[in-house]
Amino acid sequence: MTSDYIRKQSLLFLVRILILTLPNTVLAQELTYRFSLVNEATTNKLNLSTPLNYENRILPQPKTENLAVANLFLNYGVVSVSLNGSASANNISKPDYSSSLREVYVDYSLTDELNILVGKKILKWGTGYAFNPTGVVEPQRNPSDPSDRLNQYEGRKLLSLGGFVGGSSLTLVYLNDVSLRESKLQSTDHELAVRVYSLVGGVDLSLIAHFKQRQKPEAGMNAAYVVGSNLELHAEVLAKQSSRSLYHRVITSDDERQFFSSYPYVPLYENSGRIFYKLLLGGQYTFESGLNITLEYFHNEEGLSEKEWKQWMRFIKFHNDIQQGNIVIPPALVELSRYNLLWSLQTVSPRGTMRDYLFARGYYTLDAWSFELMYFTNIADLSAVVIPSVSSRLSEYVSVYSRFTLFLGKDDSEYGALFNRYAVNLGIRFQL
Amino acid sequence: MNLKYEILLLILSLPYRIFAQLTAQEILLRSDQSRNGWEAFVVRTQITNYEQGKLKEEGNFEVFIKGEDRSLVKFLNADVKGQYLLMLEDVMWIYLPNTRKPIRITPLQRLMGDASNGDVARTRYAQDYAAALKREETLDGAGCYVLDLTAKRDGATYHKINYWVTKEHLQPKKAEIYLSSGKHYKTIFYDAYQETSGRVLLKQMTLIDRLREGRKTIMRLTSYTPQDIPAKYFNKDYLEKLK
Repeated sequence: MTSDYIRKQSLLFLVRILILTLPNTVLAQELTYRFSLVNEATTNKLNLSTPLNYENRILPQPKTENLAVANLFLNYGVVSVSLNGSASANNISKPDYSSSLREVYVDYSLTDELNILVGKKILKWGTGYAFNPTGVVEPQRNPSDPSDRLNQYEGRKLLSLGGFVGGSSLTLVYLNDVSLRESKLQSTDHELAVRVYSLVGGVDLSLIAHFKQRQKPEAGMNAAYVVGSNLELHAEVLAKQSSRSLYHRVITSDDERQFFSSYPYVPLYENSGRIFYKLLLGGQYTFESGLNITLEYFHNEEGLSEKEWKQWMRFIKFHNDIQQGNIVIPPALVELSRYNLLWSLQTVSPRGTMRDYLFARGYYTLDAWSFELMYFTNIADLSAVVIPSVSSRLSEYVSVYSRFTLFLGKDDSEYGALFNRYAVNLGIRFQL
Repeated sequence: MNLKYEILLLILSLPYRIFAQLTAQEILLRSDQSRNGWEAFVVRTQITNYEQGKLKEEGNFEVFIKGEDRSLVKFLNADVKGQYLLMLEDVMWIYLPNTRKPIRITPLQRLMGDASNGDVARTRYAQDYAAALKREETLDGAGCYVLDLTAKRDGATYHKINYWVTKEHLQPKKAEIYLSSGKHYKTIFYDAYQETSGRVLLKQMTLIDRLREGRKTIMRLTSYTPQDIPAKYFNKDYLEKLK
């Protein structure tokens, strides 16, 4: 039997189960819906001196943008669907319209203790606020927007089995980004994640294991605990042997004056046997006034060391100097240098490019007003992102908000090198 | 005094004698019954906040209660639809549909206005507090036991409560809440009771903020429905499956 045959038969089996169970479960239920429409206008103050994008020439960024996103979530019995439609416009490109199926899944109770879920769904594991090392099944997320205010995250295609006994649970998730191309089911690498959760002596404790085809398994745990009436503490750790993360080849060299004629990223530590771990330690404290403060420390062993970052930055500056005409080279190499700069941008990750970060958040509500201040800093270079925001609830259905994102640091620091100096967002949200 | 007269006196005074023999903890346990009608039930709750007499905010919730220590609050307003608060004994989580994961929270984090999460989700004080009888006194014409409640465990919503319970029906009448700092945090008046399926249950309570002048919250328990609730609804990891 070929693996294609097995795959098709498994899919047919699942479809049959769903068809058999749907009439009984769907018809007995009522329709649940949530709808939101957000319009956000943004003004960016561009960072024209960053070597990553000097004078906005390498990857032109808009100064003004507007994004409208409508999201509709529907649940009827065992079936749930989340649809997004968006329209965006900015000062440098044509308006763009898009739609996406963020989630579509069937979640069926086999017994009082057992659930099966199949489809595309956003799953999030972890106890951290801004960072979630144990979020092995999560879509890619942005720590500066943990609440996904614009509904940008998309689910992953999965089959999940959940068992719930008392305060404990066991979740098995098989993930595969299958797609139908030319009438053929195309699958990606098989991925399996397991989570065992229990409340032990007041501590939320989850053990997590993650297996992915052609990669070494990773395992970890997360925990949360409340002390008294005010203080919550949480932690996450995830470890694996070797890493398939891609690194720019220049970071292993002492010579930054290089030209790469092909994609320069390689899995440097694929067979290294080295242990890579991610660690999160955090807590939140609620004052009697209602003010809530969250603090988190995040370490990512897969991030760049200070030395690697500096080498990569020297390489960027070298190519930036070429683009500015400060270094004269044959014209044929100028375009290649530009490609080298564009490729290099892949090193920068919104989840943090280096190893050690601190996150702080203050949150306070007063009547219909909410005030939030978020602060991220890279401990190595002390560059930071500061995000104060304020929102006002005009009614049950309408709220408005403003958000200011300020990037602080030298031009060769992580956050100081980003494309913007600051950004101002003004938004209005309508929901049903 | 003849025997017949003595027996009659004994019978007439029996209820008083029974109550008089109740310990402070038993009084507290009995008073909890006015918020807990059945082993499992759903109570629809409306919370209205006022500031200087003006209506500021209104929130609607469905509270699922099972057994002595499990409660689940479903948020019904459009701006918080899909949000849940789960409480198991003194452990609490909030589930926000956008963040897609339950977040462990502390008892002091507020549900809305002056109502703490525990005011809505935690309905059995006898589980959380050790009671001592301070005195007896008349409050608004009703004879009351005044109990001194002290948190038995760290996760109790409040540190200390002075609690007035009517002698006649053993119903809560008033509560003065104190923080661990000793500050008078709020006063709760248990305003009205209603009869539901043969049980007399709390209908309305008013929470007066003692830290911020002129603020009050009215919590109305508009309907109680006894119903079987699956145990998995009270599992933290099941929250993402609730709609």
